[in-house]
Amino acid sequence: MIQADLSIILPEIVLAVYAMLALLAAVYTSKDKLGPLLVWSTGGLMVVLAAWIATKASGTHVAFGGMFVDDGFARFAKVAILLSAAAVLVMSQDYMSRRGLLRFEYPLLVALAAVGMMMMVSAGDLMALYMGLELQSLALYVVAALRRDSVKSTEAGLKYFVLGALSSGLLLYGASLVYGFSGTTLFSGIIETAKHGEVTIGLLFGLIFLISGLAFKVSAVPFHMWTPDVYEGSPTPVTAFFATAPKMAAMGLFARVMHDAFGLAVQDWSQVIALLALLSMFLGAVAAIGQRDIKRLMAFSSIAHMGYAMMGLAAGTQFGVQALLVYMAIYVTMNVGTFAFILMMEKDGKPVTDITMLNGYARREPAKALAMLVLLFSLAGVPPMLGFFGKLYVLRAAYDAGLAWLAIAGVIASVIGAFYYLRIVYYMYFGDEGEELDSNNQPILWGFLMASAAVMLLGIINMFGVEGAAAAAAATLVN
Amino acid sequence: MSLFLIAALPFIGAVFPALLIRAGRNAASFSAGLTTLLAFVGLMINAPAVLRGETIHARLDWLPGLGLNANFFLDGLGLLFATLILGIGLLIILYARFYLSREDPMGQFYSYLLLFQGAMVGIVLSDNILLLLVFWELTSLSSFLLIGYWKHLPEGRQGARMALAVTGSGGLAMIGGMLILGNIVGSYDLTVILQNKELIQASPLYLPALILILLGCFTKSAQFPFHFWLPHAMAAPTPVSAYLHSATMVKAGLFLMARMWPVLSGTPEWFYIVATTGLVTMVVGAVIALFKDDLKALLAFSTVSHLGLITMLLGFGTKVAAVAAVFHIINHATFKAALFMSAGIVDHEAHTRDIKRLGGLRHLMPITFTIALIASLSMAGIPPLNGFLSKEMMLEAAFHTTWAGSHWVIPGLAVLAALFSAAYSFRFIVHVFLGPKRHDYPTHPHDPGAGMWIGPALLVVLVVMIGLFSSPVAGPMVSTAAQAVIGGELPYFKLKLWHGLTPALYMSIGAVAGGAILLMLHARLEAIWNALPRPEAKTIFDAIIGAATRLANSVTDALHNGSMTRYGAIFVVFVAALSSYAYATGTLGDPTRAVQAAGPLHLVAWACLVAATLGILALHHQRILALVLIGVVGLVVSLGFNYLSAPDLALTQISVEVVTIILMLLALNFMPKETPRESSGGRKLRDAVIAIVGGTGVGALIYALMTRDFLFPTISEFHLANSYKGGGGTNVVNVILVDFRGFDTFGEIIVLGIAAIVIYALTETILNSRVRARLLNRQPDMPQAGDAHPLMMVVATRVMMPIALMVGAYIFFRGHNLPGGGFIAGLVAAIALIMQYMASGFAWATERQRFYYHGIIGAGVLVAAATGIGAWFNDKPFLTSAFGYVHPPYLNEFELATAALFDLGVFLAVVGAVLLALESLARFAWQPGMSTEHAMDINPARDDAPETVNIENVKEV
Repeated sequence: MIQADLSIILPEIVLAVYAMLALLAAVYTSKDKLGPLLVWSTGGLMVVLAAWIATKASGTHVAFGGMFVDDGFARFAKVAILLSAAAVLVMSQDYMSRRGLLRFEYPLLVALAAVGMMMMVSAGDLMALYMGLELQSLALYVVAALRRDSVKSTEAGLKYFVLGALSSGLLLYGASLVYGFSGTTLFSGIIETAKHGEVTIGLLFGLIFLISGLAFKVSAVPFHMWTPDVYEGSPTPVTAFFATAPKMAAMGLFARVMHDAFGLAVQDWSQVIALLALLSMFLGAVAAIGQRDIKRLMAFSSIAHMGYAMMGLAAGTQFGVQALLVYMAIYVTMNVGTFAFILMMEKDGKPVTDITMLNGYARREPAKALAMLVLLFSLAGVPPMLGFFGKLYVLRAAYDAGLAWLAIAGVIASVIGAFYYLRIVYYMYFGDEGEELDSNNQPILWGFLMASAAVMLLGIINMFGVEGAAAAAAATLVN
Repeated sequence: MSLFLIAALPFIGAVFPALLIRAGRNAASFSAGLTTLLAFVGLMINAPAVLRGETIHARLDWLPGLGLNANFFLDGLGLLFATLILGIGLLIILYARFYLSREDPMGQFYSYLLLFQGAMVGIVLSDNILLLLVFWELTSLSSFLLIGYWKHLPEGRQGARMALAVTGSGGLAMIGGMLILGNIVGSYDLTVILQNKELIQASPLYLPALILILLGCFTKSAQFPFHFWLPHAMAAPTPVSAYLHSATMVKAGLFLMARMWPVLSGTPEWFYIVATTGLVTMVVGAVIALFKDDLKALLAFSTVSHLGLITMLLGFGTKVAAVAAVFHIINHATFKAALFMSAGIVDHEAHTRDIKRLGGLRHLMPITFTIALIASLSMAGIPPLNGFLSKEMMLEAAFHTTWAGSHWVIPGLAVLAALFSAAYSFRFIVHVFLGPKRHDYPTHPHDPGAGMWIGPALLVVLVVMIGLFSSPVAGPMVSTAAQAVIGGELPYFKLKLWHGLTPALYMSIGAVAGGAILLMLHARLEAIWNALPRPEAKTIFDAIIGAATRLANSVTDALHNGSMTRYGAIFVVFVAALSSYAYATGTLGDPTRAVQAAGPLHLVAWACLVAATLGILALHHQRILALVLIGVVGLVVSLGFNYLSAPDLALTQISVEVVTIILMLLALNFMPKETPRESSGGRKLRDAVIAIVGGTGVGALIYALMTRDFLFPTISEFHLANSYKGGGGTNVVNVILVDFRGFDTFGEIIVLGIAAIVIYALTETILNSRVRARLLNRQPDMPQAGDAHPLMMVVATRVMMPIALMVGAYIFFRGHNLPGGGFIAGLVAAIALIMQYMASGFAWATERQRFYYHGIIGAGVLVAAATGIGAWFNDKPFLTSAFGYVHPPYLNEFELATAALFDLGVFLAVVGAVLLALESLARFAWQPGMSTEHAMDINPARDDAPETVNIENVKEV
């Protein structure tokens, strides 16, 4: 019994044990000198685990009496989480080493956060949900404040922590209400309660609080307040991490709770999530217009993108989940490339985040500028880049589910949002020559930038099979 | 040739010029021309079948889940447009070879151009509206690159940006419309959509879909009020203007309207939106064009006007008008491309395109003059050229159309537009080519080589041919294209010059004559025009962008001012709003539990609680007072627990309360005694309202919960039933802690221990860092008490210590069956020890400390673990407890449970953790030169040797 359980959760165990052993080993040996080595070994292990999970036997396996679910949906999300976390880790090594930021804890905290994220997308129980969520969040609070000597970084970490504690409290309150009114913390039991009778007001309150807590984690408006501050204050590699894997995990968890536990009460949560999606899309689009700091801009961009992803969730259908997964996979890939570019932005060896510094960039670095152009158009959802297909998916999902108003609003928001991406392109291609950025062609960053841009273009052929995988994953979640 | 190949050829061809430019400019242009020619030939191979009325299909599944398929089809309309795109494309490639100068990167130019060409061919051949969207936006992107081709020109950059912003946004809006359309029909294939007119027009979403699609069309085809980008796009090299902005890209909007004509037209909405927009655009464009001095700007506004004309014809919704629209699309493409190319030749040769600086060119550039003359006469609508034919048809259609009940609005305005159209066409000839030769041209103009004029010359031949022999030359093409637009029987029409003395002919004559008169009055009209205030589209566009940026900034500044309270407030308000939504939509049953009666004592306690809470709010600036009041709250809460039959909870609460208050007192030692006052009255009010709303909401929710039974039996029943049977104890709470959920407790004591050790490690680190200096030099903001160790307190705590430890032991032992247990006992013992630190001083207590707290924690965890492992020897899972009864001599029978041993582990861990944490924090307070005088330690030397006493420096916790 326990052996069977353990074999299902083995990838998580491997990663967690690795992180703890490495932590101990590093403490007793040469500490921060091991940083680069640990970055590569952690990244490598994550890629191996991703390959392992991707090739694992299909089907749904349940461990620990339903608390841990390993199904197609979880595997899809885990592969995306592990790959993006590994990519961001590897990208950050050079940047952090050169600035003396690469403490040995950093890759291990990322690994522990990844364990939490894997738990989140596999959660089959409110307690497993909370455990995964907190494991992830606690690691993230620490990495947000990694640059201890910077006021901005510590302030960001503190804000994130305080607001995160508030949202965790709310989530717990919601979870206890749900438990109180359904008599179980298992998702499979909660959905039974909804099957038997109408959703009582207590359960509804629990649901609302749960949604609020989860909305904080995906940084949906109006629970997004921490996002711009944390994105700006954290070291850029950490920001890149924040923008990728945790978003995927939080969205996966969101979808899992809504469908596994409340899948029979779609009408009760669909409207709320639709509202959050609407607010996120518009605030993300509008607020980004005035930003000059590219990291803050990416924060608002990610808020808007989460709005679109939630549109797929709000649909409440299998196609909606498929759209959500496709959207998130594309979003994560785009962000990896974009942040590879941002990590290369430096002047006199110091990181630069002001977008006006990109003036005339295309003339000096045509290849990189072109790759960034592709990524920015993809972020804006302009055909024929892959980002457009992601938008098309969620718009269709929302539309098919009867949320026509949301789909139309999404279109309008994407028109507004296109403006600020376009502005960066404008600076790069047509801006007046000004101060020049260093020509930093760190091969790993360069490779990720180009690969990500190539994916945006070549992905339109068949999306590298992600469509089919997402469809299969969605089918295991919604039935 | 397969449609896939035709659509793919330009994209494939786009690679060659970029690669072959190293082999020379000819190689690059030749490769571009060859692929275009191949595609053109491929199209022509298919043409006969299409002209016979067949439709050619090519299908390929792409992303079926999304409904996106790579389906192409070729019908009359597609053939017409594809011919225009590829045919004119060939001429443009030839023209551009000679137009571009040596400095211009020609490989790039041809690559962009072919990319654009491929996107255009894709649009007109798509049989899937999603595929069409992809190509649609691709034209916006490639035209962005082409318009900004001359990167050194600031106008080029602005024009490119504006064009992309307007057409790209329109395309994004169109996505919405296409999605709605596809959803109504249930398929995204055009051929299916085109057969579902009734379904689409009956749908309630017809109007939103129509508006969104038309937004895309109008922005692309530069219809009023989106027309402003087109003149600014004229900063592009002339081949681009001729190709994109007269013959092809701006026609994409028209193409889509024609494509959707069978299913979208015929409704009043369609008529009023499309026809009115077209009419306004036609008139506005024509009027502005007359007053432009830049040759290309004149042509640009004339293009706007003609696009408006075609839009209006499509908007009429009648079959005859649709035929006229199709015909005019052909005619306009031929004469306007020729005119643009001639304007380019003039610019190229004379190095200016300012009409005011030109004139008299007919002698210097006879070939160019001939071409321009024929083309502009066609544009003016002079027989026997093709422009005349379609203009007649337009006037005829306009004459029969009523607008909002008025018979004269459309014909009148159409004549007005035709009049201005004739005027600017004449001006193009008269002010540029006629008149006396000048001596101040920037360079001496002359006719260019054949490479540049052969393209426009061919087009002009077409202009004449279509005009003279309209039926044989253009008839089949117009019929099949019109058939595809109308999607049914063609109306009766005849393409010929002479229709008799129709009203249209009179209107036409009037327009030409009026145009000539207008031109004569041009100088005077221009003065009036320049004096009139008129909105400049570019400034409006910039103002809109500026306003949007300001709005965005104000939103961001209002929301994100970095203040935590604001974030928290928004958080709370939104959750409250969501909760009220939940409350409004959910159902709430009647209360099932009676409310308990409250006696006077309860009310007093409750009043204390409320008063203390309010007191904290009012006095929170004074930290010590606030701390005291927090203590009151904790006390009342633990009393409440006790009253409500939870003595364990009450005990735990009160002991935790004491420990925390001590911890906070310790922290206060290092902080100012008062907090800064920075809230304004308004902010306080706002926060008060939010707090009251939030608090009331939570209170109401809890009240609602407490007055109702759960749907299922609570877990208490299970524990009450099983606690004694399974765990051997009657104190359910303790049995849960040490038995039922012993594994959790085991984990928790480990965490507790780790937390304490972390606090220790952190304080060690801080004390070894720069912070230490600041701690040592700190100045307390109030003087320390003279007597750090009051005698009374020292005596009391020392007397209390054995009693307190006894109480701890008592609580520990009774824990299994009565309220108590290892956790509470641990806290009580810890408090007893802490009191010694407080009363007698850190040094005194440390001297008497026998065991390191680290060790106590470790011992606790090990004892607990050993108890758990013990179960293995009895073949039971980890931590299974056992209990039995012993009856020693002389004593009563009593129970022994392994759980008690486990509880001992808990006890030790708690004691160790609490003390280690507090001791670590207390070390911050240490300062050099601190020596302690202990009140109870009788030092015989004290009175004799006062120099060892240093009362001023006595500072202790």
